Amino acid sequence: MRGHGMKRWGILLGLVVALALPWLVYPPIALDIAVWALLAISVDLLLGFTGLLSFGHAAFWGTAAYATGLVALHTGAPFPVAVIAGAVTAGLLAAPIGYLSVKRTGIYFAMVTLAFAQMVYFIANQWRSLTGGENGLQGIPRDLFGVDLSDPFYFYYAALPLVLLGVFAAWRIVRSPFGRVLVAIRDNPARARALGYPVERYKLLVFVLSATLAGLAGGLHAVGHGFASMDDVHWTTSGQAVLMVVLGGIGTLWGSVIGAALVVQLEDVLATAGFDGTGIVTGAVFVLVVLLFRRGIWGTAAMWLPRARRLPALSRLARRGPGATPSAPAPEALVKKGA
Amino acid sequence: MRRTHIAALAVPLTVSLALTACGGGPTSAGGKLSGNKIVLAVLNDQSGVYADVSGKNSVEAVKMAVEDFKAKYGAKAVTKDIEVVSADHQNKPDVANSKAQELYDRQGADAIFDVPTSSAALAVATVAAQKKKLYFNITGATTDLTGKSCNKYTYHYAYDSYMLAHGTGTTVTEQGGKNWYIVYPDYAFGQDMQKQFGTAITAAGGSVAAKDPTPFPNDNFSTFLLKAPNLNPKPDVLGAMQAGGDLINLVKQYNEFKLRDKGIKLSVGLMFITDIHSLGPDAFAGTDFTDAWYWNMDQRARAWADKFYQRTHVRPSFANAANYSAAMQYLEAVQRAGTDASDAVTKQLDGHSFDDVFARNAKIRGEDHRVIHDVYLAEVKPSSEVKEDWDYEKILKTIPADQAFRPVADSAAAGCHLG
Repeated sequence: MRGHGMKRWGILLGLVVALALPWLVYPPIALDIAVWALLAISVDLLLGFTGLLSFGHAAFWGTAAYATGLVALHTGAPFPVAVIAGAVTAGLLAAPIGYLSVKRTGIYFAMVTLAFAQMVYFIANQWRSLTGGENGLQGIPRDLFGVDLSDPFYFYYAALPLVLLGVFAAWRIVRSPFGRVLVAIRDNPARARALGYPVERYKLLVFVLSATLAGLAGGLHAVGHGFASMDDVHWTTSGQAVLMVVLGGIGTLWGSVIGAALVVQLEDVLATAGFDGTGIVTGAVFVLVVLLFRRGIWGTAAMWLPRARRLPALSRLARRGPGATPSAPAPEALVKKGA
Repeated sequence: MRRTHIAALAVPLTVSLALTACGGGPTSAGGKLSGNKIVLAVLNDQSGVYADVSGKNSVEAVKMAVEDFKAKYGAKAVTKDIEVVSADHQNKPDVANSKAQELYDRQGADAIFDVPTSSAALAVATVAAQKKKLYFNITGATTDLTGKSCNKYTYHYAYDSYMLAHGTGTTVTEQGGKNWYIVYPDYAFGQDMQKQFGTAITAAGGSVAAKDPTPFPNDNFSTFLLKAPNLNPKPDVLGAMQAGGDLINLVKQYNEFKLRDKGIKLSVGLMFITDIHSLGPDAFAGTDFTDAWYWNMDQRARAWADKFYQRTHVRPSFANAANYSAAMQYLEAVQRAGTDASDAVTKQLDGHSFDDVFARNAKIRGEDHRVIHDVYLAEVKPSSEVKEDWDYEKILKTIPADQAFRPVADSAAAGCHLG
């Protein structure tokens, strides 16, 4: 019971941080952190809980960005409607892609998803009348029944419920019986199949759910910035999401949030730092984290907490720590399984 | 149990209320100058593909403009407090968009300069319109900035795809390159350029024998280059719309296939002096292209380029010079207006004619905010004619300002109505 209370306070702390974020960092950056965190969580749903490394989430993020933009531009719908339309579009796109991809595992799955994402990229590039090519789809309105949301500070609070909805959905998924089956599939697909679970159907369902969450994030990103561009469907977006998950900690959900906050902040700080090698710094941080914190930042923290049990203040937290999701797999375990 | 639920809700709500009470949101300052100073912001690519063309050297150029402005007006200057800030948008439109907001809101920027990459350029135009702050785009090539995305606070300097296509297409055709074979990268800029070149060539009495899209990015152009001499009619000119790394690959292969010896000249849609510098003049020798400005084109340009060289140890690209000119024209307009209030400054800018080290016979068009000026058809010299470092170009022809850029009527047809 006491452990349950701790968890509740943990979530509470997360909510306070989420609400206070635009006070701590520049509001547009706060929104970026929130939506990238949701994208990273959607990737973690597959990577950490199902053992599938998707390298094509840019397809869903970007498709939703364009769909959201087009709905908002052409129908004048309030932005949450447009964003949800975008998320649904991403989910619909994920059904055929997922159907074909989940038949493979490991590196093959990653390559197939990347290939589909590149197809989406080239379609977006060619379909200029719809997407605006590399000029992008500009001037996406952020209408909410006439409320003025042009200030990014207020828009953050308008968008936050949708982000939290997405995070909550992911959290419910991994804690449901469905989520338990996913972990079973991750750890031993043959055994899960032997127990009578339709492994591929489970994978397909979580793939579609994950893509929908990625779409939700992508749509909000497009509305937040007022445009959708080729960058949204570029493979670097998929790579960035995977990077965030690995930095934060695979299979921890909350780790993705930390990873997103770190990468977005880093990108923002480096933009005005007057330093030439933005990529070098991000790369060095990645290498350091992978070498020193194998389980990512959150994963390592969660692992170290039980060892600090002798400290009375931490012992309660440790018993039911925030990263208490059973056994976050180390990256190498995933690769091995893919073979 | 229920108590915890209520507490769970109450705490964040209280916190957010307490925080809201502290204030927040945009604030405005009165007075002649916002924040009692002028802040010029350069937002461009300082670490990626455009870093050499513009990048940090353009920040330096804007600083030079500030110094020259202070020297010119001395005690009569509207203020002595002029600050230059910069940010690296890494060619990402979302970073450009957030940084532009931050520059206007937090750093008190009165005007933003440069912004390469068309999606980023257009994203910043939206921010400028929203914040009612000035924005001078220099390195964005899209004509949408003076078309459907034009707005009262956005000005477009130096070049665009229309100017490149009509400069090179028209002039080369008039000089005898009647039959063209156009290869273009298959994305919006390339397709745009191909169309505009086609129009310009036909209008000048030439014809396009064939046009082929090439994949992007691409490192093997041999299929297209082998096809060129066997086309009927045989083309006089190969028009390449590629840029950056693709252009370098194409030019190398053009030389390997010895197409010049087979009577096919090379005309390039978009080329910067930094491209010539990186590959050496011999690789490009004899290539025609349109340049907005060349550092060694006359004494006046050269004098400025010398000052620039002392600070940066390179010769300026047209983007560097255009940043200087835009910053200077902005400061002059603030001086005339006596304030940095955006609306008063745009009144001074619109319709203003001037002539400076970069822009000759220049005019800031009030109708679409296109800044028009003379541009130049240039040819790359072979290394035997190169007398010093960066001495790569021979100006073949000056294209007068009113012919170089898209006519106002076309901008209006594209959706720009500023009055």
